[in-house]
Amino acid sequence: MRPAALVADLFRTSRGRTVLAFAAAIALPFIGRNGGFTNFLADAGAFVLLALGLNIVVGFAGLLDLGYAAFFAIGSYAFAMLASPQFGIHIPFWLCLFVASGIAAVFGILLGAPTLRLRGDYLAIVTLGFGEIVPQTFLNLSQWTGGPNGIGSLDQPAIGAYKFGFDALPYYFMVLGLIAFAVWVANNLRNSRLGRAWMAIREDELAAAHMGINTTTTKLAAFAMGASFSGLAGCALASKLQLVSPDQFGFNVSVYILAMLVLGGMGNIPGVIVGSLILSALDRFILPQGTNFLHGFGLNVDLTGSRYLIYGVILVMMMLFRPEGLIPSRQRKAELHAGEGDKGVAAQEQALYTEVVH
Amino acid sequence: MTLFLQQVINGLSLGGIYALIALGYTMVYGIIELINFAHGDVYTLGTFFSLAILALLGVTGIVSGPMLIVVVVVTILGAMLLCGLTGVVIERLAYRRLRNAPKLAPLITAVGMSFILENLMQYWKGPSPVAFPQVIPNPAFAIGAVTIEAKQMMVILLAIVLMIVLQTFVRHSRLGKAMRATAQDKDAAQLMGIDINTTIALTFLIGSALAGAAGFVSGVYYGSTWFLNGFAAGLKAFTAAVLGGIGNIAGAMLGGFLIGLIEALTTQFISDQWANVVVFSVLVLVLIFRPTGLLGESLPNKV
Amino acid sequence: MRLPQNSRAVAAIALAAVLTACNSSTSTTSTSAGSSGEPAAAGQTIKIGVDLPVSGADASIGIPTQNGAVLAVEEADKNGFAGGKFKLDTSLLDDAVQGKHDPAAGAQNVKTFIADSSVLAMVGPFNSNVAKAEIPLTNDAGLVQIAPSTTNDGLTIGDDAKKLRTAHPDVNTFFRVCTRDSRQGLALAQIAWQKLGYKKAFIIDDNETYGKGLADVFDASFKQLGGTVLGHEHTTANQQDFKALLTKAASLHPDVVFYGGTTSTGGGLVRKQMADAGLGKTPYLGGDGISDDEFEKVAGDSANGSYMTVAAPDASKLPSAKAFIAAYTARFKSNVGPYSANAYTAAKIEIAAIEKAINDAGGKMPTRADVLKYVAATKDFDSPIGKVGFDANGDTTSPILTLLEVTGGKKVTIEVITLKS
Repeated sequence: MRPAALVADLFRTSRGRTVLAFAAAIALPFIGRNGGFTNFLADAGAFVLLALGLNIVVGFAGLLDLGYAAFFAIGSYAFAMLASPQFGIHIPFWLCLFVASGIAAVFGILLGAPTLRLRGDYLAIVTLGFGEIVPQTFLNLSQWTGGPNGIGSLDQPAIGAYKFGFDALPYYFMVLGLIAFAVWVANNLRNSRLGRAWMAIREDELAAAHMGINTTTTKLAAFAMGASFSGLAGCALASKLQLVSPDQFGFNVSVYILAMLVLGGMGNIPGVIVGSLILSALDRFILPQGTNFLHGFGLNVDLTGSRYLIYGVILVMMMLFRPEGLIPSRQRKAELHAGEGDKGVAAQEQALYTEVVH
Repeated sequence: MTLFLQQVINGLSLGGIYALIALGYTMVYGIIELINFAHGDVYTLGTFFSLAILALLGVTGIVSGPMLIVVVVVTILGAMLLCGLTGVVIERLAYRRLRNAPKLAPLITAVGMSFILENLMQYWKGPSPVAFPQVIPNPAFAIGAVTIEAKQMMVILLAIVLMIVLQTFVRHSRLGKAMRATAQDKDAAQLMGIDINTTIALTFLIGSALAGAAGFVSGVYYGSTWFLNGFAAGLKAFTAAVLGGIGNIAGAMLGGFLIGLIEALTTQFISDQWANVVVFSVLVLVLIFRPTGLLGESLPNKV
Repeated sequence: MRLPQNSRAVAAIALAAVLTACNSSTSTTSTSAGSSGEPAAAGQTIKIGVDLPVSGADASIGIPTQNGAVLAVEEADKNGFAGGKFKLDTSLLDDAVQGKHDPAAGAQNVKTFIADSSVLAMVGPFNSNVAKAEIPLTNDAGLVQIAPSTTNDGLTIGDDAKKLRTAHPDVNTFFRVCTRDSRQGLALAQIAWQKLGYKKAFIIDDNETYGKGLADVFDASFKQLGGTVLGHEHTTANQQDFKALLTKAASLHPDVVFYGGTTSTGGGLVRKQMADAGLGKTPYLGGDGISDDEFEKVAGDSANGSYMTVAAPDASKLPSAKAFIAAYTARFKSNVGPYSANAYTAAKIEIAAIEKAINDAGGKMPTRADVLKYVAATKDFDSPIGKVGFDANGDTTSPILTLLEVTGGKKVTIEVITLKS
């Protein structure tokens, strides 16, 4: 095939574009050539994993989860307890990925089970409750979890004789691999029977149940799959940081991940990835470096103190003006703007009524 | 036994504040089925507004004599008015557009609003806790072996009184009837000629005003305030509203007192660090086994 | 799904471009990533990195601490740092994510400092668990860090400390100007038992690394001396109502209530609410976390009868301390925090070390290793917190602990204690 046509294909076909995106991602740390930047990329990548996991629960199945950080905590602590001097257990890292993921999935089912009969906002509140209960419990059980000090000196991954060490680069590539895996799984799930079942209960749970979908197993599967991704992210982040501590899993982190979905486009995998990267860049990079930048001009402004203001404004603006996110799926766009048609209904009927009377 | 009773009093006073905040939550949820996350922060704004008013009045300590009543009334009313207006503005700006959107949208907007308010308050009074003047003299009264302070009595009484006032208003006034109608069926209410925009705005006004009152009371009770107070208190107040039966005014008060009691008794008989876990577990259990709460009515599932 | 996929690729590449542009603006010198100390032309900027939690709930204690370090750098820069050959500046980063100090953010900030070759030293972090994430990195990179407030024993001594230095086990890059939990907690227990004569104590801590660490040491030491610990409870984050907890304590009739934590996590509020619970006459004992002026402000009249220790000589008798407080309040128009002087001292030590290293390098940009060497050799350094020096582990050798009591609404020095090392 002629080279020009080949290149054109890269941009035209979806498979080609995916290859391009991954090539760009692999090249990125080398363009940056900066340890801080690579570290940021690795962390941002782990949060992309978290966002993809939450996307299954909120985006695909429509279950509003306000306490996703609880699963993140469970995945991270599971890894910490199984691969550190804490209990003297040292399960090899690559096996631990599966184990932690599995444990998180089990808890996904356990914590999701109570929410089965609840509708939208009540479900949100229960997940919020768990989001408060889980980190506090980890903090309180200090004999096993190290209390506020957390668990440290976690095992680092190793491939044969090569230990990952303190450089962020190998972790970044590992995270990239995990993202590729997660995207593949998520895509296949969405296009499967289960994925369509999720879509059905998201749109109208009662109708879905009447059409023969087992809402119980469908919902539990969503929680389990979503939680399992957080297990992967937990392993990656914990092994890189060498530490797990209860400070990392508050309500604000749950909202942060949710905001990534809101910003990028709920239910839409590329959207979620972009939203996640933008917020990570904003939080870990643009705000702190921006402060430094302005500092260099003698402006003693602290942008990081305005974090909440900025996130709050983003959330409010997005939901008011573009709830489907920056990169929406056509489906969700239609769903989220459905309500706007109804504005006129009551008014129309009222006009009709008064017309008839007169 | 004395210890138990003493903790009951502690729990009821703590619960009184939750009750006042919960009243606003339950009213708003009852009418537009929105969990107004920003409500807890409106409560904190109430303490901040009260601080500002007290500073204007030149109050730095205890006020004695008839001036006390003037100061208290002016400050409470001032805080209530300002908070009420804040609530109306928030509703108009952030929630009105999303009235017919899927539940996710206004919920996330509310969280965003909460963040914005918290940050603004951090700019206003700084990141550290701020001292609040004592205002009312605080003699302690002994009832047998148990002591109760004037401040504690004030909190408990105010919660009960405001609940009764609210309940009467909702049951017997025209506006209250309009609120109940809108809560029951928005479209039908509109068809019957009720201006739901005004009704909803008024609901926010009253709910937020109650949060403002709670703010003043909390400032006096604890003697200090902080820009992040609203988050934890708001969450527990919402738990209280759910426990009592969301949409039910007496339920909100009952739920508030119950949550306060649970917290105090858990601290006494287990430990302080598990109090929050127990409270939120109660939330989860209530929602699983009795989602309508203690005093709520079962609503049929609309098809 | 053609449209979104297209946008995805474009967005990813655009984002990459934006990030790379952002990123290149942070590498201020022409040298490439990771390398430190290549000689560069004069007129360069040298930076001291400051990593502290300055947003959200931790801001109330983080910001005053950061201000201390900033003040030191500004003073040095104005007063002819290195004979004017270099400009001295700070690189301020926040390790509070979503309002709470976050070890991952701390690690990110340290990596940023390491990658910036104009950063020759850093001050921070504030919290011991953040330090646990940072020490392996600074150890690996050879960047010196002095912490103003991380008191956890395991950061400098014992097996835990060794595990944090696996990259270069024979090198120590972590120093602190605050007293370890085991020293301050033990001293507090001795003060309570021997000096003040308390037999029964009720302990409250804020369940954070500093507060719980200090309280745990106090708990164990007090028992060892023969005292009774009636109860040891932990409060919750952002807790405002301590009445139930204090009523519980009151029912056990303690001689003293010990608080492990800072004013910002509830130290002042607990004291204030003690009177309401029937503990108005019971004394209150704590560490340097409640040694700030905020404590009296929040606790109000009930602050009287509180005792606390500070790992520094009497500030009112030390001219450098008075000068520091005056300069701080003039510059920032607010009160000093409990760790402002510590951060100021940490920065000054690093500045002195950098100046010596510049001399060594003949007026050129020094190496991080050289700066580290001079910091480690610090002895009898004059500062607002007394004479500071470091031992082989990175702990302060300064053996002074001042016991303060709040009477008449102000802190008064009761005793100056010299700790046995």
